[in-house]
Amino acid sequence: MLDSISIFRIIKTGAINFWRNLWLSAAATMVMTITLVILSVLFLMFAVTNYSINTIQDKVDISVYFKNGLVEDQIMNIKKDIETDPKVRQIVYTSSEQAFQQFKDRHQNDQSITQSLNELSENPLPATINIKAYNLEDYPAISAKLQDVKYKDFISKVNFEDNRLVIERLGKILKFIVTFGLGLAIVFSIIAVLVIYNTITLTIYNRKEEVEIMRLVGATNWYIRGPFVVESLLYAISATVITSVLFLPIFSGVLPKIAMYVNPSVTVFNQNIFNFLYLVLMVFAISIILAVFSTLLAIRKYLRI
Amino acid sequence: MGAFGAFVYYSGHYDYIVIKFENVTKHYNKTKALDGLDLEIHHGEFISLVGMSGAGKSTLLKLIIGEEKIDGGKILIDDIDISRVKKTDLPYLRRKIGVVFQDIKLLPKRTAFENVAFAMEVCGHRKDKIGKDVPKILDLVGLMHKKDNFPHQMSGGEKQRVAIARALAHRPVLLLADEPTGNLDEVNANEVLDLLLKINQLGTTVILATHAADLVNKIKKRVITIENGKVTIEQEKGKYKL
Ligand SMILES: Nc1ncnc2c1ncn2[C@@H]1O[C@H](COP(=O)(O)OP(=O)(O)OP(=O)(O)O)[C@@H](O)[C@H]1O
Ligand SMILES: [Mg+2]
Repeated sequence: MLDSISIFRIIKTGAINFWRNLWLSAAATMVMTITLVILSVLFLMFAVTNYSINTIQDKVDISVYFKNGLVEDQIMNIKKDIETDPKVRQIVYTSSEQAFQQFKDRHQNDQSITQSLNELSENPLPATINIKAYNLEDYPAISAKLQDVKYKDFISKVNFEDNRLVIERLGKILKFIVTFGLGLAIVFSIIAVLVIYNTITLTIYNRKEEVEIMRLVGATNWYIRGPFVVESLLYAISATVITSVLFLPIFSGVLPKIAMYVNPSVTVFNQNIFNFLYLVLMVFAISIILAVFSTLLAIRKYLRI
Repeated sequence: MGAFGAFVYYSGHYDYIVIKFENVTKHYNKTKALDGLDLEIHHGEFISLVGMSGAGKSTLLKLIIGEEKIDGGKILIDDIDISRVKKTDLPYLRRKIGVVFQDIKLLPKRTAFENVAFAMEVCGHRKDKIGKDVPKILDLVGLMHKKDNFPHQMSGGEKQRVAIARALAHRPVLLLADEPTGNLDEVNANEVLDLLLKINQLGTTVILATHAADLVNKIKKRVITIENGKVTIEQEKGKYKL
């Protein structure tokens, strides 16, 4: 196998090849960078849309307001009744006392509200249950069921905000992003492969003599191939670095704002750092696959060993 | 053996077979380059390989280093059947066989020293070993004083001697020379021939493929003549006949 000196020399030769054809290397790096940027944008748009859909989806629920003066048992019976429905994922019961307490807590800093609350002799807030379904499509059915006459004496209001249209629209956007973006990414990946293939072919051609002599004096096949692979890895690394530098501001500045806008209750800063590393790793892996693939093609075709 | 002895393989006796061709055939498409060739070369010999243009001399040498594959028969090097040598092991075989060509093949942007060092570098030798060995090899070919010259700053004969130095870098058992004097004038050709004879004297088996009748006649060692892909004449202390 290759010893450390040989590995060092392979890397050195690869780096020299990279510098010798600096313009070609720049072109190869640029095409690779464009591919990676497209992939990153695709990834980001996918992530943001997906995140929005999940957040909105999570916000969809049915609120049931009960009439005043009911005994808790009566409410519990209805709750149990609804719970038997297999479409229902979660039911949260809030008594009118809890609702009142929560309201007070939420507005404890607001002088005028606290004051007027204290003046109340009676709790004006109804008991509620909050229902979440497994599937978005199930909400209308659950909501319809609650309109049944048998609940008429207990339930004052069923509140169901139908966000399905928004979600559907987002879903369509997501699908478009994925198909269009993926198509674009594939086209540019092919261009990147072709450009790197040509660049490596040219390097092989430029080093024809050297390669021939290496073979004659007994250099191993991987010693001869190594520098070409290193050269293409340098394109991949450079393109990854450039792409990362371009995307860092988006991650540290723009994304948290989007996330805040979509869902103010979540701080996504930490999550973003993770996503950034994830993006860099993904982009790096893809660039290496493209670079090594095109180099191996060029080597197979033009490097007679 | 002298100070340079370390760079040439020397077993102390001359009676074992380094290379054996058994009924070897080689075609290129429709051309029959070798056609049932038999040949034995003993350790320490100096062989002049002669024959008309297209007789198959270069082909024979290429088969020895595994650059071309044989179509029939067998070639044994040190009793190893080279058609059985794996592709990944060929480089190690090539380190035991030095080769030089008519077109010399030095790297134009490297000095004499660097050209010889290159052979050691690409095979994983350390810098200190390279720094110690290369001057000795350049001394052997008599070019230490030109070690910093680039190929374009040397005569054809000197360049060929650098190429020979490079071929010796791995202390080969066998040195193959394919018309090494083909592009040289008489003086330079004689220099190169003298060097090959000296290397042979130090113990390395040499095969010299050539057209140059006057050189062959001067050598007075074994001459093998190839015609139509076969050995037709074998002479000890021979002359160039055709
Ligand atoms: N790569 C090749 N493809 C096809 N035919 C080839 C190839 N190499 C050699 N030949 C043919 O094989 C035959 C032997 O060629 P070879 O080069 O061995 O001859 P040679 O004795 O070295 O000739 P010369 O003295 O001119 O160098 C010739 O007929 C030649 O045309
Ligand atoms: Mg020839």
